[in-house]
Amino acid sequence: MRAFNKLIIANFKQFIRDRTALFFTFAFPLLFMVIFGLAFSGEQDISYKIGLINNDDSPIGTSISESLRQIPVFEITEGGLDETLAELEDGDLRAVVLIPAGLEESLSSGQAADITVYYDPSQTTSSPIILSVLNQSINVINLQLTGQPVLLNLTQESIQAQQLRNIDYLVPGILAMSMLFLGMFGGVPMVEWREKQVLKRFGATPLRRSTMMFSQVAYRLILAVVQAIIIIAVAFFAFDVQIVGNWFVLLGLVLLGALTFVSIGYFAVSRAKTVEGAMPLINLVQFPMLFLSGIFFPVELFPDFMRPIVDAIPLTYLGDSFRQVMVDATPLHSLGFDVAILGVWLVVTMVLAIRFFRWE
Amino acid sequence: MVIEVEQLVKTYGPVRAVDGISFEVKKGEVFGMLGPNGAGKTTTVEIIEGLRQADSGRVTVLGMDVAKVPARIKQKIGIQLQAPSLLPLLTTEEILNLFGGLYEHSLPPGEVLELLSLTESRKVMVKNLSGGQQQRLSVAMAMVNDPEIAFLDEPTTGLDPQARRGLWTVIEEMSARKKTIFLTTHYMEEAERLCDRVAIIDHGKIIALGTPQELIRNHFEEKAIQFFLEPPQPQDVWRALPGVTNVAQDESETVIYSDSIPATMSAILKYAEQHDLTRELKDLHVREASLEDLFLKLTGRKIRE
Repeated sequence: MRAFNKLIIANFKQFIRDRTALFFTFAFPLLFMVIFGLAFSGEQDISYKIGLINNDDSPIGTSISESLRQIPVFEITEGGLDETLAELEDGDLRAVVLIPAGLEESLSSGQAADITVYYDPSQTTSSPIILSVLNQSINVINLQLTGQPVLLNLTQESIQAQQLRNIDYLVPGILAMSMLFLGMFGGVPMVEWREKQVLKRFGATPLRRSTMMFSQVAYRLILAVVQAIIIIAVAFFAFDVQIVGNWFVLLGLVLLGALTFVSIGYFAVSRAKTVEGAMPLINLVQFPMLFLSGIFFPVELFPDFMRPIVDAIPLTYLGDSFRQVMVDATPLHSLGFDVAILGVWLVVTMVLAIRFFRWE
Repeated sequence: MVIEVEQLVKTYGPVRAVDGISFEVKKGEVFGMLGPNGAGKTTTVEIIEGLRQADSGRVTVLGMDVAKVPARIKQKIGIQLQAPSLLPLLTTEEILNLFGGLYEHSLPPGEVLELLSLTESRKVMVKNLSGGQQQRLSVAMAMVNDPEIAFLDEPTTGLDPQARRGLWTVIEEMSARKKTIFLTTHYMEEAERLCDRVAIIDHGKIIALGTPQELIRNHFEEKAIQFFLEPPQPQDVWRALPGVTNVAQDESETVIYSDSIPATMSAILKYAEQHDLTRELKDLHVREASLEDLFLKLTGRKIRE
């Protein structure tokens, strides 16, 4: 136990003197959070600029144009057809709505009239939203014009306890990413020790290999908890991200996640002879995992043929479990399923790491 | 006896790195294993330390079988490895504190630093130490558990002459404290100065074993005449001189072994005068035969070739 403690203390002393390690462990995830947090926070009050051409100065035309102005997500600018269409092409406007002349005459004679929407289909995210909002608005105006009573009202109620913002979605992903990096790099000091014969030097003392290994892993886990606390604290104080779940469950997930990636990291470098040789191996595992997991993008965005890969990656499950415990997001899987998949990865890679790890 | 080695064999593929070695080390002595690089010194030492396994043979350290209880033996011995493998971001004091913590019994770091004259570098990180200081720290790590036997594997290799003499003093001090020291080296003068007994090893075999004086006395009745001469003369010239028993030549350096120094000496001077080489004859002197000469005599090679 004395040797175990001394090794952990020595590890921390070396860690706080290693600026590169400090940066990647603490500054990097926070930097990531600040940059993306600021980038996404602007999108909170979305509004679309819509051009409006009202060629009908009857009360009906005016009331339609008034109704459109009331829609909160639209910012209406009126103008002529040519100039607004030019602005639409330049991307300054997202859509242009044309109210034709002679609306009152055609309606009073019982004929339907067309309201035309010009839009840019290449604006793949905004166009469907704008079209559907316009569609609904026109429907409501239609009902009002025909004087029919509204029988069904759609009341919106989020199933989540709180309204999720982008940053709420982002922070659990950053935490999962940090566990990935922390764990995957966990085996690097061992490779360095093997390369520089520090392992041989320890082998010349009565220190047991198992004690050395346990102290290395325990040190990583302590580091993981410290890192998680810092990330969550910054998220809370700087970005007002509220943690709604159980803290003990969260702690358990942090430990399980870190341990799983430590195992994968050790397995990845179990045969590497030098640190230079270990780094590409680690990156080969961790970057595909980072981009193909669902921690930063919704898994629905991946094409179908990639889904089996996405579904196999442990990071997907860690991100999912963090997200549901931290901010009560809609889960992809049940928490028990996430934990089970992580557990399988942990056990399998740990067995492989022990089987293949070279001491000399 | 604190170390007993019997018929030790270790092969790496076709190479017999250790080829049937047997010897004993007595309590409190400085025992030296001498030989050129690749002679099998490090392999032998690492088997005794329990870091490698022998193919066959038996090693007992402090009465315990190395193959059976390596961990118990490691508690009581101190090991210095050839390549100093240290943690660059820790200070010398922290390293000794850490390694001391791995043993049941250890000395306070300050005491060990004092012994190795490292007290001033106590707060210096390993990466900022000079080569000599790192080497001394690596010896300090072998002392931190106050071992009954300290194994030092080429502790002075790569050191400048001043640092080497500093380390010799340390080893002499430890010896004065009745510690058993097992030293390997390829510096013959180091072995002559420090060791109570030496084993000369070549191609995995012990070719001579005893005190340095004994070995020299047993193999040499003659003394050595050494000089530099440019251009070198054919060896037969020297062999023909009176009293000469053997000649060794390495470019311009010539060593002539003779059991009749006055006769040989005057013959050399006469030869130089006759061939008008008196000015080219440099650094002519007579000395006692050394372990270096012994190695040459036994193997026909110089030790550092």
